[in-house]
Amino acid sequence: MNETFLRSEVRIGEPGYPACLLDLHDPPKTLYIAGSLRDFRPGIAVIGARRATPYGIGCASRFAGWAAASGVCVVSGAAIGCDQAAHNAARALQRPTVAVLGCGADVDYPSGATALLEDLRTQCAVVSELPWGTHPARWAFSRRNRIIAALSLAVLVVEAGLPSGTFSTADHALAIGRDVLAVPGSINAPESRGPNRLIRQGATAITDASELADALRSAGIELEDAAADATVHRGHLTDIERAVLADPMRPDDLARALTLDIVTVIRALGSLELSNRVARYRDGRYGIPASTTRGR
Amino acid sequence: MQATVLTATLSGVEALPVEVQADVTSGLPSFVIVGLPDAAVQEARDRVRSAMRASGYDFPNARVVVNLAPALLRKHGTGFDLPIALAILTATRQIDPVATAGASAVGELALDGSVRPVTGMLAFVIAAGRSGLEIIGPSEALHSACIVEGVTSRHLDSLGRLRGGPLPGSTGVFTESPELPQPDLADVAGHNSARRALEIAASGGHNLLMIGPPGSGKTLLARRLPGILPPLAANERLQSALVHSVAGLDETPALAGIRPFRAPHHTCSIAGLAGGGSPPRPGEMSLAHNGVLFLDELPEFGPAALQTLRQPLEDGYLTLVRAEGRVRYPANFTLVGAMNPCPCGYLGDPEKQCTCSPWAVSRYTSRVGGPLMDRMDLMIRMDRIDPDLLIAASPSEPSLPVKRRVLATREFAAGRGALASRLSGAALLSACALDEPTSRLFTEVARTKHFSGRAVTRVLRVARTIADIERSRCVKASHISEAVSYREGAE
Repeated sequence: MNETFLRSEVRIGEPGYPACLLDLHDPPKTLYIAGSLRDFRPGIAVIGARRATPYGIGCASRFAGWAAASGVCVVSGAAIGCDQAAHNAARALQRPTVAVLGCGADVDYPSGATALLEDLRTQCAVVSELPWGTHPARWAFSRRNRIIAALSLAVLVVEAGLPSGTFSTADHALAIGRDVLAVPGSINAPESRGPNRLIRQGATAITDASELADALRSAGIELEDAAADATVHRGHLTDIERAVLADPMRPDDLARALTLDIVTVIRALGSLELSNRVARYRDGRYGIPASTTRGR
Repeated sequence: MQATVLTATLSGVEALPVEVQADVTSGLPSFVIVGLPDAAVQEARDRVRSAMRASGYDFPNARVVVNLAPALLRKHGTGFDLPIALAILTATRQIDPVATAGASAVGELALDGSVRPVTGMLAFVIAAGRSGLEIIGPSEALHSACIVEGVTSRHLDSLGRLRGGPLPGSTGVFTESPELPQPDLADVAGHNSARRALEIAASGGHNLLMIGPPGSGKTLLARRLPGILPPLAANERLQSALVHSVAGLDETPALAGIRPFRAPHHTCSIAGLAGGGSPPRPGEMSLAHNGVLFLDELPEFGPAALQTLRQPLEDGYLTLVRAEGRVRYPANFTLVGAMNPCPCGYLGDPEKQCTCSPWAVSRYTSRVGGPLMDRMDLMIRMDRIDPDLLIAASPSEPSLPVKRRVLATREFAAGRGALASRLSGAALLSACALDEPTSRLFTEVARTKHFSGRAVTRVLRVARTIADIERSRCVKASHISEAVSYREGAE
C-alpha cells in the first residue's frame, strides 16, 4: 500500500515529545503521530457534543476559525458534530489543527471522517497513545480526552448536554491547570446545559472574537494577529424571526406564543428558511442557521 | 341423463364463468368430479350427497360424473356445492330445468341441506350481471349484492325450498346508505401544523409521512384521514366492496361510502401486504384501494415488503404472477407512514433524552429506502403535546368543516385538471403556472438548497394543492414557502 503520510513514534524524554503532555500525572508513554508535530505549539481545544445543533456546529466553526486565523493550533477529537466543524474551520484557512483519536492514529474513525483524517495526516497531524491499527474502544475515548486537554492551553466547550463525555475533557483540563472556556446558549436548550453549567462553575464565557482573544492571551497563548469580528447584519427582524433566533421553536408553539394563525407561521418560516435567515432543525424546530453563527 | 348449471370461480377480484355439467349413467355407483377442482371442490361430493338426502331428494344410485368447464381453468372454493347439487337434481329430473335456467348458482351446502354464503359473493353477482344472468344463492350473502344495478337475485336458503315453487328474489337498485360514524378530528387537541398537513394530503391525494416520538398522536391523526376525504363514488364503492368481499371481509362500510383504512402490523409478510397465497387473495394494499394504507413503524417493516409498495404507488394496481397464472388486483391508495425519529424514539423530544448514537439513527432512517421516501410528498414532524395544553386547549375543529373544504378544493382541482399528486413533469409545471419572478425565485432556491429533481417535483405538487385550497389559478411564492416546510431534510 502506498502511504501518503509520515508515521513516527516518540517516547517520553525523547526529542519531539510535546512537553505540555508532561503536565499530566500519567502522560502517554509513547505518542504515535501520523503526520508531523514539528512546529507544534499548544493551542486551543474546541470540543462539543456529537449530537450538536446548527448553533453548536456554527459556534465551533466560528471560534475555531477565529483562533486558527490568529495562528493558534486547534486541537479536537475528529468526532461527528462540533469536533469536525472545528477541524474543518481551521483547514478551510489552511491553518494547523491536530486530531487526537481513541484508536490507532492510522485508523479511520469515525467512518464519516475519512477524508478529514486523510487531509490532517498529510497536512497536519493525527495523534494517539495507542499503537498503530488499534480498533476504537469505548474506554479509550475518555482516556484520550486528557491528551486533548494537555495539548492545549485553553479548552473551549461549545455545546454539550448533561451528562456528556465532553465534561471529562473539561475535568482533565482543570486538573492540570488549563483554562476552561464555554459558549453560553439558551437556557431552554438541552444541548447548552453543559456550557451554561460550566460558566456557573467559573468557566469564562465566550461570546465574540475579542473575548476569545483576551481569554487566549490570558491562558498564555501568543496571537499572531487578532481576527476581525464579523458581525452579521440581519437588518429588520420580524416577530417570528426574532422569536426563533432567541430560542429555537416549533411552528405550533410559535403560533401559540405570538397568537398567529398556523398557516401564516408556516409560510413565514418557509420563506425565512429559503432565504437562509432561519434553519429547520432535525427535531422540527426552527432556529438560527449554522451559516450565520459561523459569521461568514 | 345430462344437465348443465352455470356458476363461476374467482380469479383475482373477478369471477370467471364456469359450467357445471352432470352426467348420470348406469354403471357401478360412483361420484367423480373432473375439471381441475381443488381439494375444497373435491370435498363437495360428500356434502352434496348428504345435503340431497337430508333435503328429501334421492342421490342417484348410479355413476355420476361432474365436469367443470372450461376444464383447463383451476377451480377453488366451496361455492361449487350448490351448482353441483342443482346439476345432479336436474339430471335426475328431481327438479325442473326451468328452476336454474338463465341463472348462475353459487353457494356452499351444509350436511342438513341449508345453503351457506361463500367469500366473494359480490364478484359472483357482478359476473352474473355481466353475462346477463340472474344469481341464485343464500339470501344472507345476497343482501349486499342488491347494490349492483339491474341484477336479479333469487334467494335459496335450503335445498328443500326448491320444491316450494318460484324462489323469492329482488332486483338490485343503487341506493345511498346512511353515513356511518367515523373518528373525528375534534378529538385531536393541538397539532395545528400536522392538521394542516393532513388537510393538504386529503385535498391533493398526497402521501404523508409523520415522524415523531411514541405517543405524539401519529396514529390518532392518521385514523382521521378517511373521515375528511370525499365519500366513495358509486363505482368506487363497488370496487372497494368487491376487494373486501373477495378477501372474505365485511363490505358494508365500503358500500356505505366510507373510504377503507388499513393499518397492517409491521410483521406483515410480503404476501400479506401485496396479496398472494393459493388461491391468491388480495393483500392489505388492495384492501386499501380507494382509501388509506397506514403503515405505523415504517422502518420496522421488512425492506422487501416495503419495496412492493412501489408498483401500486406508481400504477394504482399490482399484478401477481404465480404458477396458476396472473392476477391483477386494484391498489390505488393514499399512503400514510409513521415512524419514530430514531430507534429509541426520543430524538429531539423536549423532555426525554435520546440514547441513540448518530450512526444508529442514520441506519434506522435509511431502512425505509430512497425510492419510497421519494413518494412521500409531505413529511411532518410531530411532538408530544404538553399535558397542560391538552387540558386547556380550546375545542379543535371537527372533521365536517374540514371535509367540506377538502371537497371544495377537489372540485376546484378537477375544474383545473387533475389532482396535484398525479401530476409530474411538464403537466405539473403548466398546472402551476408560475409567474416570472416566482419561477426565478424558485429556481434560485432549488439551486442554493441543492433540491434534487424529485424534491422539486414534490414541492411543486404540494404548492399546487395549497394554491387549490385558496382557489388560485397560479402558484404563488407564499404557496411555495409553505410547501418547502413539508419536505425532508434539515440542518
